[in-house]
Amino acid sequence: MNDDLQSRLNRFRFLALVSGVIGIVLCVVGAFINTQRFFISYLFGYLFWLGLALGCFAVSMIHHLTGGRWGQVTRRFQEAGFMTLPVMALLFVPIFFGLKHLYPWAQPVKVAADTILQHKHAYINPSLFIMRAIFFFIIWIVMAFLLRKWSLQQDKTTDVTPTRRLRTLSGVGIVIYALTVTFAYIDWVMSIEADWYSTMFPVIICIGQILTAYAFSIMVLTYFSKYQPISETVTTTQFHHLGNLLLTFVMFWTYISFGQLLIIWSGNLPHEISWYLHRIAGNWKVIVWFLFLFHFFLPFFSLLFRPTKQHPRTLVKLAAIVFVAHMVDVYWMIAPSFYPTGIHLSWMDFAAPIGVGGIWIAIFIYNLKGPLLIPQNDPRVEYSLAHGK
Amino acid sequence: MAEFENHEVLVDATQRTYAEGYRKLDAYSPFPVHGLSEALGRRKTRVPLIVLLGGMTGGLGGYFMQWYAMRVDYPFNIGGRPLHSWPAFIPITFELTILCAALSAIIGMLALNRLPEPYHPVFNVPEFRRASLDRFFLCVEATDPKFDLVRTRTFLEGLRPESVKEVTS
Repeated sequence: MNDDLQSRLNRFRFLALVSGVIGIVLCVVGAFINTQRFFISYLFGYLFWLGLALGCFAVSMIHHLTGGRWGQVTRRFQEAGFMTLPVMALLFVPIFFGLKHLYPWAQPVKVAADTILQHKHAYINPSLFIMRAIFFFIIWIVMAFLLRKWSLQQDKTTDVTPTRRLRTLSGVGIVIYALTVTFAYIDWVMSIEADWYSTMFPVIICIGQILTAYAFSIMVLTYFSKYQPISETVTTTQFHHLGNLLLTFVMFWTYISFGQLLIIWSGNLPHEISWYLHRIAGNWKVIVWFLFLFHFFLPFFSLLFRPTKQHPRTLVKLAAIVFVAHMVDVYWMIAPSFYPTGIHLSWMDFAAPIGVGGIWIAIFIYNLKGPLLIPQNDPRVEYSLAHGK
Repeated sequence: MAEFENHEVLVDATQRTYAEGYRKLDAYSPFPVHGLSEALGRRKTRVPLIVLLGGMTGGLGGYFMQWYAMRVDYPFNIGGRPLHSWPAFIPITFELTILCAALSAIIGMLALNRLPEPYHPVFNVPEFRRASLDRFFLCVEATDPKFDLVRTRTFLEGLRPESVKEVTS
């Protein structure tokens, strides 16, 4: 890593850390002013950035399994991304104290009035919620450490054992990822709406995470492609592939989001449709249109064209749009349950994502410094670089 | 028509032939060769446009068909839903977009390549059989304005070919 890049990153990290700390302090102040509002905003801000970390986790495992030129140049970014998980686990702790502000099943009055919640109680209650959350984080962190450890080991040896191990772990890991995220998000997001359930919902979450991770990788890669050593390795091909992957996951997101809507709309059952009714009520419709335009329409039709994907400058703009649109999507999944009549913004909705995000980015940059930016000795690298021109 | 040993010589020869001013060229190889179509001076094809038009026809046609049937021709109340129930129309609209786009891609590709073509003079050269095995061919057509039986043959022979054959029609 050259000195110019190094000093830029240091400055970036400092800025991120400062805005992170300011954001968190504001959140703490907010927690005293309006406790419930704080927890809603914090859950949104936290889950967006956790989603990015988990997305990086999934994408790096996908790359260990499939290979591909795009992954060699972005793997270290994804590793730096999922290595934020230990700190993200700590940042989850505040949510344990806000259960009764967030979840109907944690409010005895609501449980007493709702037979469905009473039946659910055996599975979803505060102590089991906390135990499951700890369990998921332990799994994620152990796997993250192993993925990182073996990946760095491969840098130092030409023996292929670390790559073999990475592959084996990733094969099992991608299944574990899907299962743990499914159950985690049933607890953390789906259960906000008392009686609602959707089997499609965890898939939407997973795809959203992976999509954000790709968008993020494209943005970071574009920035780094101006500096050594990435500038020597990255070519149009890698951007083209990443652009294709972004397009794929934009389509996938749209497909399953619409799938869920179509099924619930067709069934038209009171406890299912209420989720959508809360999310289209009043000026929430504006958000629906925003998501349609910027989470699907614009990126989809722009990414269909090859030149868009081959010019990093255009691609990075679309990646940024998708990234922001997904943040709005996470907000739209959480906030309307509390404000089912229309948008109800608070300054904490900005403080929380900035606070968590600042800390996230500071750790991300910290993780980037140290190991080589391009993984070495991967048995597939020589092949992919020789054919990547 | 010149016969070559491997694809690198073929691409190189094609580039030099194109630079010499020949335009009515075609190259034949047993596998797709990277950079060959650029060397032949092939521009972008019109297939994407045909696919776009096909897809749009399918999508709009599919949506219109459902809208017309459900709203205009045979209004029918299904579970109290609005007659124009767009979510239900999307899957069929989507499927028809894909179907028409895919069909127009195949038909457009065949039409622009002027396929099927049962007879082509290059097959009159017995060696050409190896174009689908292990040999690479470059053919300059006689309709090319620069074509001259003797001079073109001498030029092709200067490109390190295995052999140069005349294609009889």
